[in-house]
Amino acid sequence: MKRLITLVVNKKACEIAVEPNRTVAQVLREDLGLLGTKIGCGMGDCGACTVLLDGRPVNSCLVLAVQVNGREIETIEGVSNGKDLHPVQKAFVEHGAIQCGFCTPGMVLSAKTLLEKNSSPSEPEIRKALSGNLCRCTGYQKIVEAVRQAAEMMKK
Amino acid sequence: MHLLPRFDYYEPRDVAEACKLLSQFKASAKVIAGGTDILVNMKKGLIAPEYLVGIGKIPGISEIEPVDGGVSIGSNLIIEKLVEFDLIKKKFAMLSKAASVLGSPLVRNRATIGGNIVNARPAADLPPALIAMGARVKLKSRRQEREISLDRFFKGPGVTVIRPGEVLTQIVIDGPPPFTGGDYIKLMHRRSLEIAIVAVASRITLDGPDGIVTDAKIILSSVAPRAVHAVRAEKALIGEKPTEKLFEHAAKIASNECRPIDDIRGSARYRCDMVEVLAKRTLRGAFVEAREQ
Ligand SMILES: Cc1cc2nc3c(=O)[nH]c(=O)nc-3n(C[C@H](O)[C@H](O)[C@H](O)COP(=O)(O)OP(=O)(O)OC[C@H]3O[C@@H](n4cnc5c(N)ncnc54)[C@H](O)[C@@H]3O)c2cc1C
Ligand code: FES
Ligand code: FES
Repeated sequence: MKRLITLVVNKKACEIAVEPNRTVAQVLREDLGLLGTKIGCGMGDCGACTVLLDGRPVNSCLVLAVQVNGREIETIEGVSNGKDLHPVQKAFVEHGAIQCGFCTPGMVLSAKTLLEKNSSPSEPEIRKALSGNLCRCTGYQKIVEAVRQAAEMMKK
Repeated sequence: MHLLPRFDYYEPRDVAEACKLLSQFKASAKVIAGGTDILVNMKKGLIAPEYLVGIGKIPGISEIEPVDGGVSIGSNLIIEKLVEFDLIKKKFAMLSKAASVLGSPLVRNRATIGGNIVNARPAADLPPALIAMGARVKLKSRRQEREISLDRFFKGPGVTVIRPGEVLTQIVIDGPPPFTGGDYIKLMHRRSLEIAIVAVASRITLDGPDGIVTDAKIILSSVAPRAVHAVRAEKALIGEKPTEKLFEHAAKIASNECRPIDDIRGSARYRCDMVEVLAKRTLRGAFVEAREQ
């Protein structure tokens, strides 16, 4: 039976009726049209489905929509300020840290969370914070460099 | 894409209501906490419960509270908070360390301590550290509440003493005696998103900074259907002066005590050899911490 849930997505309140067996990743993509959140493995292994749940990055493929009733979600669509990209996004573009882009929304959300807690992370700290996000294309070096540069940009 | 089978979802407001639902639905219902284990199993088609009982909205089971020098941890607390909280980091450092190597940051932000215990995987990260610290769990059902030592909780892979209708509500750990230290080391093929090839948790208590060993625990993980004590190695430590030679001796005994299997992550022989290495290293780490306390 469908359940009515209310939640805040990218600062906007919404109310949706969902079947209990649908995940947050599915509802974001299929009901709310937020296609920035990707579904790769569906099993918690790749991080393509990363969203922030009450500020913490989680695998949205392993969260039921009914479990986030009353809570707040931020997706990649909520990261930029209108047309102004977030410093992490800018740094990813400038460093070629994006190829196919499938991992990018998750990478950006994990990196942004790290930088909000720790304004000058070391390389091991960056790698650890991104260790739930897998990339099949660029390799991780450019991504790590982009996060470093974003840290500098965010300090200014 | 892996889809979840259909089920109905309940979200009780307190533990009593959860127990009532669970005893009403019996085997067709399962608790869901963080969901990082059960939803994977459901997507893989390994289980298909008709009802899921979400415990996320129940007050009082997601906190860390100091009690009598020890700590009481709510079953629904997410693993990442065991890494963040000062009380755990300072007083129960081996638990923090075990929590910090579980899954990935994304998994740790959802996975709960209760889920890690009840799923009873032979390679789960928190049980070895918790057993070494003498942790107990509180199980609540409609009629009673019981508290049992984690030592007696696990029966085998996926099997525990928990009865249908019971909810794990708290994990209780007594404050460590003076001059007690511990360490947990997990051997993995990579540093994140990896199940242990072998893991060892050790804890020792001394009768003074330069004293003898008065208590010792060595817990071996991923070498048996559940985390086990290296009983003979523990005995070999007690009453002795802690020296490098003693730790080497105990580690060798621990390695001879375990009976692992060959599997995709490592051969039995390799696992036994690594038990020796990790037992030695965790004992050294435990000793350093014990002297500082
Ligand atoms: C990508 C990935 C990586 C992982 N890596 C690791 C790892 O490195 N180490 C590790 O140990 N685990 C790992 N896991 C497994 C899992 O994340 C953990 O075991 C986690 O702690 C389970 O907690 P949960 O809250 O998500 O449990 P859930 O999935 O919600 O529940 C697990 C089981 O416990 C029962 N249950 C949960 N809470 C209670 C309760 N309070 N009372 C009664 N029954 C209860 C449920 O019914 C279910 O059977 C990984 C999982 C994924 C997806
Ligand atoms: S799609 Fe969620 S972790 Fe891969
Ligand atoms: S850019 Fe293609 S997966 Fe990372």
